[in-house]
Amino acid sequence: MKNYILSLLFLLSMFNVAAQTKYFTKTGSIIFSSKSALENIEAVNNKVVSVWDVATGQIELAVLMKGFEFEKALMQEHFNENYVESDKYPKAVFTGIIENSKAISLAKDNAATVKVNGSLTMHGVTNPVNTTAVITVKNGIVQAYCNFRIALADYKIEIPSIVSDKINKTIAIAVTIPSFQLLNAK
Amino acid sequence: MVAAKKNIAIVAVFIAVGLAFYFYKEYHRKPDNISDFQPVEKINFSIIVKGYQNDETIANKQYLGKIIQVAGPIADIIKQQDTIINIFIGDINSLHKVSCLLDKRNAGSIDKYSKGNDITIKGICTGFLLDVELNRCVIVDTGKQ
Repeated sequence: MKNYILSLLFLLSMFNVAAQTKYFTKTGSIIFSSKSALENIEAVNNKVVSVWDVATGQIELAVLMKGFEFEKALMQEHFNENYVESDKYPKAVFTGIIENSKAISLAKDNAATVKVNGSLTMHGVTNPVNTTAVITVKNGIVQAYCNFRIALADYKIEIPSIVSDKINKTIAIAVTIPSFQLLNAK
Repeated sequence: MVAAKKNIAIVAVFIAVGLAFYFYKEYHRKPDNISDFQPVEKINFSIIVKGYQNDETIANKQYLGKIIQVAGPIADIIKQQDTIINIFIGDINSLHKVSCLLDKRNAGSIDKYSKGNDITIKGICTGFLLDVELNRCVIVDTGKQ
């Protein structure tokens, strides 16, 4: 998994003709949020890397855990050091398939809701993720958005009892890709 | 005796107030402003990129979570959303660069720069995906461009 996205890009770049159906971004964002009676917590990461093969529907996303920015420094320190152990597990990777990829036409302005099924690896644990995403094409710009929830316990992320009332046991994840670029387009 | 107890009570109140103030400040502390800190390393972009390409684990031990100052030519400038600027330092044709994320509030002199200009930026290294990633970056004024 260490260099999965990297090796995928190398592989894709070897097939120039086929690469016409492959898109990527380095500027996606992920926001995760926890809402509880005592406190709302939100963090954002604006460096999501993603590769999407429109022909097969295969999609990969990768993000660095230390890239999540919190409003409060103490939360960010606890997140990295105690919860996700980002020195030990520096990346989170989603690998999946857009089931009905052909529902969207990339040649004209339109939008479609698609099914995304795959697995998310984080904190050394892999779990299935099944959700929907909205893909939009407008003025030639391909955008994508999806959201889903994960349970911290599923990823063996332990929250100390002293702050357990402040952190929701399930976290909302929102992924935004503001612009997919055609691979080898630049 | 009564006076001693009174003094102890006053000291205890001061300590309690002091601790409460400390914990309040610590809890609400904002992330550090990188401008106020010296980098642990000042290097050319090619050194850190090669370091990560050669051995990501070793490079992480050297750079991850630390303030690094990187110099090199601007390969691209991408404005993300309304508040973020992503400056890529490195060779335009190379797959791997140094990606520097700046809040617009810390990008005051960015208008002076364009693709191909040399720039020096410091930020916190968050690791390596396709590029070496630096967050919370600021442009370092070296007096030359």
